[in-house]
Amino acid sequence: MASRTIKRLFYGVLGALGVALALFALYLLGETTDRTADLESQYINILFVNIVGVLALLALTVGNLWRLLGEFRNRQPGARLKARMVGMFVGLAVVPLVIVFYFSVKFINSGIDNWFSVEVEKGLDDAIALSRAAMETRKRNDLAMTVKIADRLTDVVPRRLIFELSMMRRESGASEITIFGRNSRIIATSSDRAASSLPSELKDEVLLQVRQNRLFVSFDELESEIRTAVPFASRTNREIIGVVQAHFPISERISAMADSVSSSFNDYKTALYYRDSLKRLFSLTLTVVLLLSLLGSIYGALVLSRRLVAPIEDLVAGTRAVARGNFDTRLSAPSRDELGFLVNSFNDMTQRLSTASRQATLSQSLVEAERANLEVILARLSTGVVSLESDLTIRTANPAASAILNVDLENKVGQSLPDISVGEPLLEQFVDVARVHLQDGETEWREQIVLRGEVGRRVLTCACTALPGDEETESGFVVVFDDITALLQAQRDAAWGEVARRLAHEIKNPLTPIQLSAERLRRRYLHTLEAGEAEVLDRATHTIVQQVEAMKEMVNAFSDYARAPDMDIDRFSLEALAHEVVDLYRAQESDVSIVLKIDANLPELEADAGRVRQILHNLIRNAIEALENETNGVIEVKIGSTEVLEVEAIQIVVADNGPGFQTGSVSQVFDPYVTTKPKGTGLGLAIVKKLVEEHAGTIDAENRDEGGAIIRIKLPVNEAAREAMTAMLPGRVEQRRERA
Amino acid sequence: MKKIATLLVAASLVLLPAMLAWSQDNSNRAGSFEVRSASLTLVDGVQELDARLQLILSAEALKALNSGVILTVEFTLEVIRVKRFLPDDGEAELSLTYELEFLPISQRYIVRSLNSGDRDSFATLYSALNNLGRVESLPVIDDAVLKADSDYRIRLRASLSTRQYSAPFRFLFFWRDEWDLKSEWHEWPLER
Repeated sequence: MASRTIKRLFYGVLGALGVALALFALYLLGETTDRTADLESQYINILFVNIVGVLALLALTVGNLWRLLGEFRNRQPGARLKARMVGMFVGLAVVPLVIVFYFSVKFINSGIDNWFSVEVEKGLDDAIALSRAAMETRKRNDLAMTVKIADRLTDVVPRRLIFELSMMRRESGASEITIFGRNSRIIATSSDRAASSLPSELKDEVLLQVRQNRLFVSFDELESEIRTAVPFASRTNREIIGVVQAHFPISERISAMADSVSSSFNDYKTALYYRDSLKRLFSLTLTVVLLLSLLGSIYGALVLSRRLVAPIEDLVAGTRAVARGNFDTRLSAPSRDELGFLVNSFNDMTQRLSTASRQATLSQSLVEAERANLEVILARLSTGVVSLESDLTIRTANPAASAILNVDLENKVGQSLPDISVGEPLLEQFVDVARVHLQDGETEWREQIVLRGEVGRRVLTCACTALPGDEETESGFVVVFDDITALLQAQRDAAWGEVARRLAHEIKNPLTPIQLSAERLRRRYLHTLEAGEAEVLDRATHTIVQQVEAMKEMVNAFSDYARAPDMDIDRFSLEALAHEVVDLYRAQESDVSIVLKIDANLPELEADAGRVRQILHNLIRNAIEALENETNGVIEVKIGSTEVLEVEAIQIVVADNGPGFQTGSVSQVFDPYVTTKPKGTGLGLAIVKKLVEEHAGTIDAENRDEGGAIIRIKLPVNEAAREAMTAMLPGRVEQRRERA
Repeated sequence: MKKIATLLVAASLVLLPAMLAWSQDNSNRAGSFEVRSASLTLVDGVQELDARLQLILSAEALKALNSGVILTVEFTLEVIRVKRFLPDDGEAELSLTYELEFLPISQRYIVRSLNSGDRDSFATLYSALNNLGRVESLPVIDDAVLKADSDYRIRLRASLSTRQYSAPFRFLFFWRDEWDLKSEWHEWPLER
């Protein structure tokens, strides 16, 4: 800003100096042209300076005009206005200048012409003619006198020649009379000058004329005298033997008048001669002045228009910058005039816009941050959240919603929920429930929904509320739902655990006395009774003992289910363990074929080996029991690597070709005391599920399309994976905590 | 563009009269100055110049003379020492300036030497110029000033000088050939 002011000041001072110098040079040019100044000798230099000034201005003007033309062609902002202003300024300057120039030239020419007049010229010519005539008369008289003297001298004897000559000189009024003989030798002379001074010599032109026997007379203005020369004849034979040259002085008064007339005439004629040159000179000076003024005006117009338009250009550029979103644009106020006021107003506007923009950006970033936080929260929530438009178009959905409803809702934002639900049984039931409420005009509702799917039922607690909207946009809804299946299951498991614990406590205690009492009765009275009675006793006590054993087993099983010992986590080979367990059953069961398939490169499993062994035992035993009445029973055990939500895990699949689960009970197969087998206690799969969940694994069961049942277990491969799965499936943590 | 063209046309219109006025009176007779012969003669230890020059005034100069303008004719004589391998050195320069004037009443031409102050009048321009172009026994340089073992060459030129006029007129005369009367250098070796 400061440098710009200094630059502007510098150029301003430079321009003012240039203008002052140009004006001074013009003044000097005028003075020297007028020939009144001592600077006359510097005329050429001054003219040169002025012409250089003209050329410099011409270059500047042409350059600026070219630049303006370029701006005009490129349609730069302000170029049109600038061109218009320049045209206007130039028009205003050129017309008066040209008029002034025209009339100046005219006046100068006529002024110079007025110096000369026919009358003056004629008067001077007449004066010259008169002077000449007067001099001619005088010359004739003097010549006649000289002729007379020469004639008289012809008859004078040589010895009286000088005396007579002097007499005649005095009589004639001559200042000097000299008689020249042959070869211009002086024969006699008489002069009124000092005796020491030599007589005037005979000039060539005199000799030339006299030799031709002609008389010579001339007026010598320099000497203010009339010089005559006539032939001098011999006294004896009248032969020309020499020249008589006489000098007749002109009186000082006449000489002065002659000088005056001559000088005036010469001055006038000289001025007349210089007239055209003077006109050219003044025209040239005026032309230089005109060009300087004209080019100065044009250049000044260009500079002024540029300066005047500059704030407007800045405003246009600033407006464009603001339009592009750059609200930090500030313009420097050019002056305190209206343009300055406009620029200041613009600066105020941009400042306010900038402040508003910053606030808006801040608010937006806060909103974005809130939104991001909300998204993170929603993403981490195990609760499904779906916001919908009033026409059930998905606005947002979180991953939990997708997981619960088993549909990728996050990538279907903007689509209609009913349309998406086609072919998706869980979502379809969910939409049906929601639609019923919305059709009834309920925007605020809460309900527990049971969704039935292929893998079982899911219990959702669902709450819906209307979103706030404005007058123009219709409000939507947000539906929040939670899969409480696991929670219910956990509650059920907890209840069953409590039942089992109490059963173990309440039932197991009397069983031993019962068994002991039965065995005592048998020992004391069996051999004392008759055969028939003994047989009854034997059978009765045997049945009591057997049933007590059975009850003990059952109670122990309940006890095992309720009481979970501490986990003994260690890294071991699942492949070896699986082979060991399967080989045991292959040896025992000849009617059932057990196929074991283990992926190559199966990683070691970090888990409680005893529990995993029990899982395999229970699953295989469960399958064998299911195949009791089947021929060609086949059990397939597949173990391989897999991923659960990008967490490394090992999948254990046990499938059989038995009757499968009863339709409708698939979701309850892991509940305690739910069994379809005549011998089953109903705790096998429940324990398996409990053990799997203790490892933060997942388990599901379903019927195979080709017949039979299939159970899939996914166990995290190590502790880190277990932690990750625990974090992703928080419901399991709660279950584990509850069970712990 | 239209405005610029208009501006150029206006400038041309402004400059045209000046250009036309400038180009007037260019149909004058050209004069000429020529050095016909020149020599230096050693007389009593002084080199004396004898020269014959033909001086013909241009019509414009003649017109100026008859209009009372005093013409100045300048003879420039240079004595140059010849150097073998170096640029020649100007040893001496002599300028002889004469004024030629026409007196209207006596109708005689005056030749005035500005160097000596001598003056003479002539009935005709021819005789005045003839007298002006005849230089006889004019002492130029003392021979003792010249180095005995050096070679010299002499050159002479006659020109019509315009220095006595005012600068503006000099500027105008500069552009006119009629006022550019100047002979070629007449050059000869100094014989000693």
